[in-house]
Amino acid sequence: MTIREAAECLRARAFSAVELATAALGRIERFDSTLKAFITVTAEQALAQAQKADAELAAGRDRGPLHGIPIAAKDMFFTRGVRTTAGSLVYEDFVPDYDAAVIERLESGGAVMLGKLNQHELAYGITSANPHFEAVRNPWSTGHSPGGSSGGSGAAVAAGIAYAALGTDTGGSIRIPASFCGTVGLKPTYGRVSRYGVFPLGWSLDHIGPLTRSVRDAALVLNAIAGYDRRDATSSRHPVVDFVPDEDCSIRGLRLGFPESFFFDRLDTDVESSVRGALARAQTLGALVKPILIPDMEAVNTAGRLILLCEATAALEPHLVNRLQFGPDVLALLDQGRLLPATDYIHAQRLRGKLQREFARVWSEVDCLITPTTPTTAPRVGQSTVRLGGKEEDVRLATTRLVRGMNLLGLPALSMPCGLATNGLPVGLQIIGPPFDEAVILRVAAALEDGGVGIPPCPMC
Amino acid sequence: MKDWTLIAKAAGVAISAEDLARIGKTLDSLEATFRPLAEELTSDLEPAIVFRAGEDGA
Repeated sequence: MTIREAAECLRARAFSAVELATAALGRIERFDSTLKAFITVTAEQALAQAQKADAELAAGRDRGPLHGIPIAAKDMFFTRGVRTTAGSLVYEDFVPDYDAAVIERLESGGAVMLGKLNQHELAYGITSANPHFEAVRNPWSTGHSPGGSSGGSGAAVAAGIAYAALGTDTGGSIRIPASFCGTVGLKPTYGRVSRYGVFPLGWSLDHIGPLTRSVRDAALVLNAIAGYDRRDATSSRHPVVDFVPDEDCSIRGLRLGFPESFFFDRLDTDVESSVRGALARAQTLGALVKPILIPDMEAVNTAGRLILLCEATAALEPHLVNRLQFGPDVLALLDQGRLLPATDYIHAQRLRGKLQREFARVWSEVDCLITPTTPTTAPRVGQSTVRLGGKEEDVRLATTRLVRGMNLLGLPALSMPCGLATNGLPVGLQIIGPPFDEAVILRVAAALEDGGVGIPPCPMC
Repeated sequence: MKDWTLIAKAAGVAISAEDLARIGKTLDSLEATFRPLAEELTSDLEPAIVFRAGEDGA
């Protein structure tokens, strides 16, 4: 069931918000000993919020489409009075005394918070094999990774526990778990959603967005969380529109570009055929699908990696005095950041500006880009390399290869499921749009979803 | 290639030889792709960091 369907049922009194929350908590009880998607379950708070939601609806006070809907948040988001760990020992006992801006907005929209979700330690990695809170498992196959760093968010949504989950995305951390878990994941434009009250990983690369079971649900959550916030210095005053695509939205005449070079290099064959199948469907729906040349994505990724290494180490350096509190993969990345000179960080930021200007030219030729989200389906838990195009690649670098660049460029990007591979795991399709044009990528995604691009529900759902 | 052991020592960063060996290869590959890009940058290219002397839009 989607948010929109649940919202209709709540208003038709088919069930109450308390019943909805109780069912979600029941699913946590049933599945989370396997999935390890939650670090903290806030059952008492959820039921209290659900009771309030029911009472308000009965009194005629309707807070909108998220009223009474069970959601959850990655443990990067500050929640007043509820432990917020960032999936780390560093913040193991941290209890914030205020809510993140996005938590405030969702709760004022009547959403019911089920708890805080497991993730890759400090959001610095893509496996969500957390050494302190256990490895999150993929609901499609528990021997496989859900991706990360927002792995608990992907798992909780795919398993039918939360109707939506908040994630953070610094190098693909919303879109990767969305791809591996078969959910929708939306990384909005940089500045579109406030970062206030969220642990930083890379200040100039961090984005916040939802993972959901449908495209229109992602739009509903974006409607709730988008907008200027004076408490975030990078928050944008760009006008917020209604992002929910029309029921009969069309992509007829829209120019969809597919960059053959880079984005279609070294892919798993099942991934490539599913994405090409979705492109063919877009064409039958009237879109003008055409190949396009894009700027040097290797350079974009290189600048993105260097900036992240420097910013993440700066953010976490005070805690490096106690090296034992970090998992080995995170420590290795933090150590790399300590050896890079400040001049290289500045050069990478100069390169960023140049690449951003070059990329802007793409939008005069197409309305959005369609690419695979990840070159493979979910790797097995513990898998460290993957073989693609006859070449052995590090799983982290391969998995971030097609998504990281959009963090450097700050562009909105959405992942949606577009098929199942022969191994039964979901394949993700990425739609990338011009700055602040989330509406166009949601419209394309909704038209594809309406047009039959997607996957059956997760067996655990 | 850069001598990461020397760089760590010069920067006063305490990392064991074992940990340095683990990250050196990754840093070498990053260096190999980044350095040519950095060398091509012209002086008119400013960093993509914006400083505002006061509250934006206040």
